[in-house]
Amino acid sequence: MTELSDQALLRYSRHILLPELDIAGQQALLGARALIVGAGGLGSPVALYLASAGVGQLTIADDDVVELTNLQRQIAHDKASLGRNKAESAAARMLAMNPEVAVRVIGERLAGQSLADEVARHDVVLDCSDNFATRHAVNRACVAAGVPLVSGAAVRFDGQLAVFDTRQPASPCYHCLFPEEGEANDGPCATFGVLAPLVGVIGSLQAVEAIKLLAGIPVALGRLTLYDALESSFRSMKVPRDPACPVCSGRSSGSE
Amino acid sequence: MPHITFAAAIQRHIVCPEREVVAPTVGAALEAVFALQPELRGYLLDDQGQLRRHMAIFVDGHAIRDRQRLGDHVAPDSRIYVVQALSGG
Repeated sequence: MTELSDQALLRYSRHILLPELDIAGQQALLGARALIVGAGGLGSPVALYLASAGVGQLTIADDDVVELTNLQRQIAHDKASLGRNKAESAAARMLAMNPEVAVRVIGERLAGQSLADEVARHDVVLDCSDNFATRHAVNRACVAAGVPLVSGAAVRFDGQLAVFDTRQPASPCYHCLFPEEGEANDGPCATFGVLAPLVGVIGSLQAVEAIKLLAGIPVALGRLTLYDALESSFRSMKVPRDPACPVCSGRSSGSE
Repeated sequence: MPHITFAAAIQRHIVCPEREVVAPTVGAALEAVFALQPELRGYLLDDQGQLRRHMAIFVDGHAIRDRQRLGDHVAPDSRIYVVQALSGG
């Protein structure tokens, strides 16, 4: 493990004070690799928190460019970012916060073999995408590579969060919860709107779960957390593996 | 009586208030709601009567296992929660 410099001990001192993290946990974070799929509303807080927390190797992927309508909630970008690729824009902010981490930019939509390859070379994947096709593709790649997935979604006043780690025998995958993209139609933020800090709430929760995974802190699996900003309520639902799941039922980690 | 609630994301499309229903299974609970709101059936179920794939139903905090026949048991004091997948990011 990397020896922490005096500067690093100071920068991460509030982490190191936590017995659940301590120096070993911070060293684990500094040696970890995280892939962030999407640099928009969810990807912004995820990217900034993982960089500030000292996750050593971060890859952020997005093929979109920053528009004025994004700036209401996508806090990794600013007015100077308008027209710039979102992954590039977010990377600049991440490095400004913490130049000690390595940030790699993928300015295109990950799909197919490139998605599979990128997932396989990381320790955790954070799905911050904005469509079901990507969500299912990311899930398939994570199951195939045995890489844990922290999934978040948000629209209007509603958010959802779940962690899938199919290295654990009892963990479901995203497909066990929502079988296919099929006829899904929750509507994009551009149609139905989204409360600015809602993506901050869900993205921050994704960052929390990813840091726990990378630092070796136990994570609750098989659970869907629902946040209703209008009710100011959280609900936690238990999700079992689907023994007939076409994506994860054949995995080598066995059955429940 | 079992209590059934529909997540806010579903309410965006079809207003469906919380209800108390008399039903021994999830399917019977939904049928009780459909009797009052027939327009909800096609939103939640496909042509074969199976739960649509972007939907999930939880009984007392646990996901149902029978998405085809909706035969999961419902106790008299159960709380049923119907959820729609979100994709926004």
